[in-house]
Order: sequence, then C-alpha cells, then structure tokens
Amino acid sequence: MKKNRNSEKMMKVCLSLTSLILLLFLGACREHTGHDGVTDRIKAAETKPSDQIQIDSVPLPPAKSIRAQMSYQGGLFWVEARKEKIGRFQCSQCHGNQLARIDQAVELAHGDIVNRHGAENKRLACKTCHDDQDRNFLTSAAGEKIDFDHGYQLCGQCHFRQKQDWIGGAHGKRIGYWAGKRTLLNCTACHNPHAPKFAKRWPTTFSPPLNQ
Amino acid sequence: MMSCRKSCNPEKQTESKRSTESACSRRSFLKTAVAGTGLLAGGCGSGMSGTAEKMHLNWQEYFKGNYRLMTPTEKEATVSRLERLAKIKYKLDVQISTREPVQQVLFGYAFNISRCEGYMDCVAACVKENNLDRKSQTQYVRIFELEHGRMDIASGNGKYFHEVPVADHFYMGVQCFHCESAPCIKACPTKATWREPDGIVVVDYDWCIGCRYCMAACPYWGRRFNWHDPDVPLGELTRKQHYLGNRLRRRGVMEKCTFCIQRTREGRLPACADACPTGSRVFGNLLDPDSEIRYVLKHKKVFRMKEELGTDPKFWYFSD
Repeated sequence: MKKNRNSEKMMKVCLSLTSLILLLFLGACREHTGHDGVTDRIKAAETKPSDQIQIDSVPLPPAKSIRAQMSYQGGLFWVEARKEKIGRFQCSQCHGNQLARIDQAVELAHGDIVNRHGAENKRLACKTCHDDQDRNFLTSAAGEKIDFDHGYQLCGQCHFRQKQDWIGGAHGKRIGYWAGKRTLLNCTACHNPHAPKFAKRWPTTFSPPLNQ
Repeated sequence: MMSCRKSCNPEKQTESKRSTESACSRRSFLKTAVAGTGLLAGGCGSGMSGTAEKMHLNWQEYFKGNYRLMTPTEKEATVSRLERLAKIKYKLDVQISTREPVQQVLFGYAFNISRCEGYMDCVAACVKENNLDRKSQTQYVRIFELEHGRMDIASGNGKYFHEVPVADHFYMGVQCFHCESAPCIKACPTKATWREPDGIVVVDYDWCIGCRYCMAACPYWGRRFNWHDPDVPLGELTRKQHYLGNRLRRRGVMEKCTFCIQRTREGRLPACADACPTGSRVFGNLLDPDSEIRYVLKHKKVFRMKEELGTDPKFWYFSD
C-alpha cells in the first residue's frame, strides 16, 4: 500500500513537472514567434484608423486627375486625366462629319502608331476601341461611348483580372503619395495602347559586384 | 510605447545632466579652451570666421546625445548646426527634417516578382534620392535576375547588365526589409539603430561607431558601410533631408534603406516605388485594411524572404 501511495505521489510530481516544463516551453515558443509580430498586428487592424490619417503635406488629388467611375475597397478614387496628353486631341478637329480625303493622311498624322495589340496574326482593329462615329470617344464592345479619361473601362473588358488588381492596388501605380486621396495612373500612362507589351531595353544603371 | 518614452525621457535626461555636472570639469575646460582659440583665430570682436565657426559647430555636434533622447529643442539645435555646416562646407541650403512618425501607421512593402522587368530605375532613383556615395557605388536596392522556377536568391545574378527582360527569367528586388524583430538592432552595441513606431528601422549616423556588427547580423545583406566621405555631385544632391534619412553620412558609419523616411513621413511614396515603370512596387500602411498593401496581402500569394529565421520582415513578394 505504502509503496503504491509513494509511486502515485511520484507520478503526480512527475506529471506536474512535465506539464510545467511544457507550459514554459509553449510560453517561450509564443514569445519567440512574437504575439505582436507583424502578422498579428495586421490581423488586429481590422478597421480603418479611427481618426483618419491626416498628413499636412499631402495635397488633395492633383488638379489633372478625374474621379474614377467606380470605387475600391476604401471608397472613391481618382485617376490621372489622359485627354490633354493626347497630342492631337480633339480628334474631331480632323475627323469631323465628313470623311477626310487627303493623300497620305494616315502616314502623316498617325505614322507613329504601330499596331501590336492582340495576337500576332490577329491584331485588333482600330474600330475595336475607337468610336467610329464620334472620334473624340472610345467605344466599348457593347457600343457605349467611353471617355478617353476613363480608358480603364475599355481595357478592363478583356483584361478584367488586371483591372480587378488595379482597382484593389496590386497592379498599376499611385501617383506620388501613399496617403491622402488615392490617385492612380491610367492604363495608358504605362502601356502604349497600340503596343501594350513593355519593350526590351537596357537597364538604367548596374550594380557593382558585392565583394568589391 | 509612447507613454513610456514620454515618461522615461526626462528622467534619463536629468540623470545624464547630473552625471555631466559632476564629471564635467574636463569638458567645460576643453570647451572654453577651444572657444578661446576659436576667438583668437577669428580675430577679436567681429564674430567668428568660417573655420572657427565650423570648429565650434563641430565641437557642439560632438557632444550631442542619441537622437532618441533628444528634446525637441536639442533636435532643433542639432538640425540648425547641421544645416549651417552643410552651408559652410558645400555652400548649399539643405533642409533637415525631424518629422515624427504618423500615428497608426505601420509601413509595409510588397514586390511583384511577375511584373518586374529588371530595368533598375528604382536603383538609380534611390541613389539620387538618398545621396549615396558615388565613389564606392553604394546602392541600397539590388535586383537579382533568376531563372524561372528557382527560388533561391543565391542562384540569382545580381550584377547583370544586358537587355532586359531576358526570356525565362524573373527579377527580384532586395533591400532592407525593416524587420519587426530585426537582428541588426539586437547586434548594435551602442543602440545607434532602432525601430521607429511606424516600423522603419533607422540609424543615428552620429551615434554609430562603425563596428559593422549589424552588417554581419543582417541575413539579407541590407546594410551598407561608408568607406568614404560622401561623394555626391552637388547639383544632384537632394536637399530635402531627414535626420534619420538621406542627410550626408560621414565616413565610417553604417547606413541603409530607410523606406525614404524623408518622403514617406510626408505621405509620399519612396523613391524606388515612385520610379518603378512597371508598378511592381507597392507601398502603404499595414494598419489600414483598405490600403493597397493590405489588398495584396489579402488577395495574392505572398511570401517573405528567409521567413523561417523569424526576423518578421515587413517586405513581401507576390505574383499575379
């Protein structure tokens, strides 16, 4: 009996010791992974910072931007206006009601345009994007007019994944500021709409060997 | 954190004051001696000449404290001294800011490895923005060219110079990852490097003794050592500076990427993200669930470099 009791006691002591060690170990682990590590801090930040972050040096959206016709997870956003960057806007200056019939007009006016949009042997036609009737506008697949400033609406018809990422923030760029009113570059700021793939080129600079 | 800093600082300062008062005889003697020689060199009465003023300012600079223990007035004083010294040395008007972190902001960065084309515009922009030494070709950002399917950075080519992008290769940018649990901070014997409340790991260039322990501790090769006095073409010098950021570093101290603290604390994007022509670089506030960086973390497959080390970097890689 006594022996039994003793062994029971021993067992109890052993158990409590192991549990203590286990607890200590777990605690150490917890400390090591850091419960205020980045991931936990991010998970804890579920709501927008209560007092909207105000930085005095951040301007309102730049004057040459326009409110997007959609919203992102944080509400309204702005896009860079494109019309004034188009060299010969308005297009109706030449493309009026009457058909332009001038020799070599295409080469003279739009000779710089190389159509490399679409598969190699199936390039897009001009009319796919440009409004045939009103040249000051683009046209959607459904035949609706699209403003040149809202070109993303047009591109997004096919490139809907990119558009989704662009709206959310994984594709494209903000202009200048991470804070303040969200203002994005339009698709055509980076991609030439007539040849959207980025060209091969030499890097701007180079890195010297690390062991120098 | 903040409350501790507020409550701790005055205590420490009074402490240090007491210690300086008691053991200051040598210092004050030297100070008066130097001031005396300065006056002699500058001639009597008519104020100090350039060299004497420089000596005087350098002398005061030598005895300033760690940035974290400075009072606002002390910060103001050192900034005005540094600006004056830059004026004397380079004949340039620089503005050195001590802008505090914005509340409820934790900076994070994401890099799109399927978009980067290896143009290295970011590297060039960083060199210019941060007044990096041109002589030693110091760069904070390095782009590695890796074969498709390879994930080990060691197999990458970090010194490529040919037309990019190369077929069947992708590009991966590396810089300081501003780890939450940064080994460099733990390694520093003088507490010259620390993590700011907005997550930026900074260096007090005037408190660093240049032992390079942090450089050895960093598993990402994120830190750089100044082998030379800064060699920056004066026309290209970025004059808008921050005390913990892109002001000119002396020879013999450590420096590194600061997420362009002089820009980001003003709400601007870092120079690399601003310069990127492909939009591979996403920067923002991790504590704002609507921010772009949070969108990337939520919707994309992300990973961090050497995550198993437990350094907890605030720099993610993602692909479309």
